Amino acid sequence: MSYVLGLKCRECGRLYPKDVIFVCEYCFGSVEVDYDYDAIRKTFTKAALATRPKSLWRYRELLPIDGEPRVGHASGFTPFFKAEALGKVLGVRELYIKDDSVSHPTLSFKDRVVSVALTKAMEFGFDTVACASTGNLANSVSALGARAGLRRFIFIPADLEAGKVVSSLIYKPTVVAVEGTYDEVNRLCAEIGAKYNWAFVNINIRPYYAEGSKTYGYEIAEQLGWRAPQHIVIPAAGGSLITKIAKSLKELKMLGFISDAGTRLYAAQATGCAPIVTTIKERADIVRPVKPNTIAKSLAIGNPADGYYATKAVLESGGAAESASDDEIVEAMQLLAQTEGIFTETAGGVTVAAARKLIEQGVIPRDESIVLAITGNGLKTQEPLMNRLGAPTRIKPTLSSFEQQLQETLAACQPRSA
Amino acid sequence: MAKKQVTLIFPQHLIKEPVIYMMSKECDILPNIRRARVTETSGEVTLELEGSEEKLKQAVAFLEKKGVKVEPVGGDVVS
Repeated sequence: MSYVLGLKCRECGRLYPKDVIFVCEYCFGSVEVDYDYDAIRKTFTKAALATRPKSLWRYRELLPIDGEPRVGHASGFTPFFKAEALGKVLGVRELYIKDDSVSHPTLSFKDRVVSVALTKAMEFGFDTVACASTGNLANSVSALGARAGLRRFIFIPADLEAGKVVSSLIYKPTVVAVEGTYDEVNRLCAEIGAKYNWAFVNINIRPYYAEGSKTYGYEIAEQLGWRAPQHIVIPAAGGSLITKIAKSLKELKMLGFISDAGTRLYAAQATGCAPIVTTIKERADIVRPVKPNTIAKSLAIGNPADGYYATKAVLESGGAAESASDDEIVEAMQLLAQTEGIFTETAGGVTVAAARKLIEQGVIPRDESIVLAITGNGLKTQEPLMNRLGAPTRIKPTLSSFEQQLQETLAACQPRSA
Repeated sequence: MAKKQVTLIFPQHLIKEPVIYMMSKECDILPNIRRARVTETSGEVTLELEGSEEKLKQAVAFLEKKGVKVEPVGGDVVS
């Protein structure tokens, strides 16, 4: 059963039937999914949820599909826990981590959006899916598309490092390396998306695809005992995750699942690509595109599709924004790994570094509940850390050599529990 | 005739110039403005351009040479 009323333009409010439409025919504004919340209320209850499998599909009524989910049955419902050690370092009382670095199957939150996009694409009758991506999205479309038996096209800039393609190539999609700048790849994919009858997940299926991000917000509230935290720090690339977390909390409040905690949302970007952070800080009406120059490649979107809406969501919530330099990102990745045992990708470093700054500036109060959105795994992109983490302790194959080194190592490093 | 949907982002110094009109005359393009946000510091205009493939390319080049950023309406898609 479907709970989708149709699509609605975010700019002029014009309504459309649920179809493959991604911009309003009149004002070219982006469209989003509109639901029948009165119908949802009848089956979407805490009691019903308690009996459902722990995956993103437990929130099925609030996702834009008509039939049964086709992929992603093991995606979502990732770990959520109180980060005591990191909280201590940051000097805050109640710090939580929502950890999508261990999302199934491709170790990033993209498995959520792609599960929804591919299910919807199959409902529309597509047999071919595509995306333009340098990393997480490509991996997820490749893997979940393989599981669904779909033909897959992955577009990448031709100069992308070989290592980044391996975790897509293993699933045997057609990887198309485009000889051009990122801008040229963007433009070409927009043209291909408009011409070919393919489900281009982040172009013509985007309104449905983006809804998958709401599950990140639902899970935070559910895992916190049906309570919204007071602050959530969220990494921003295109800005969609921020808008969808905002939407998820509004929906849960409207359906009576949580009371209004006045959750403040914070956007985190790398200083080398911070169009959304700049817009928020300047309280500007227009997001000015930038040329990305940062190690945080998964956030390197110079012209964010949802930048305006993300800015609006942050400011309406009473939140703020902060950026982090490449050095601060690496330092924060190390901090998260060394305190909480999580190896996140650079985007996670951006979140932790931005949160740290916002706390130190007094923007986020130290005695309130804070959630950090960790959205990807560090194992996939280790290049930014090469030559930054020191080297192993080298010894001769003798006990004396080991013990000599051990004494030096022990002097330099004490366990935290001591 | 082909159509192209784009968002133009104007820097402050170009706000007073009739750039869209000039592009239309120079490149023989029919512009159809659908949405705009203009402030004292910058301007964003979303529109459809109509003309031959060749003229559309010329129009984009003309705008970029003037200092206008020409972006696809859906934003960047490589992520």
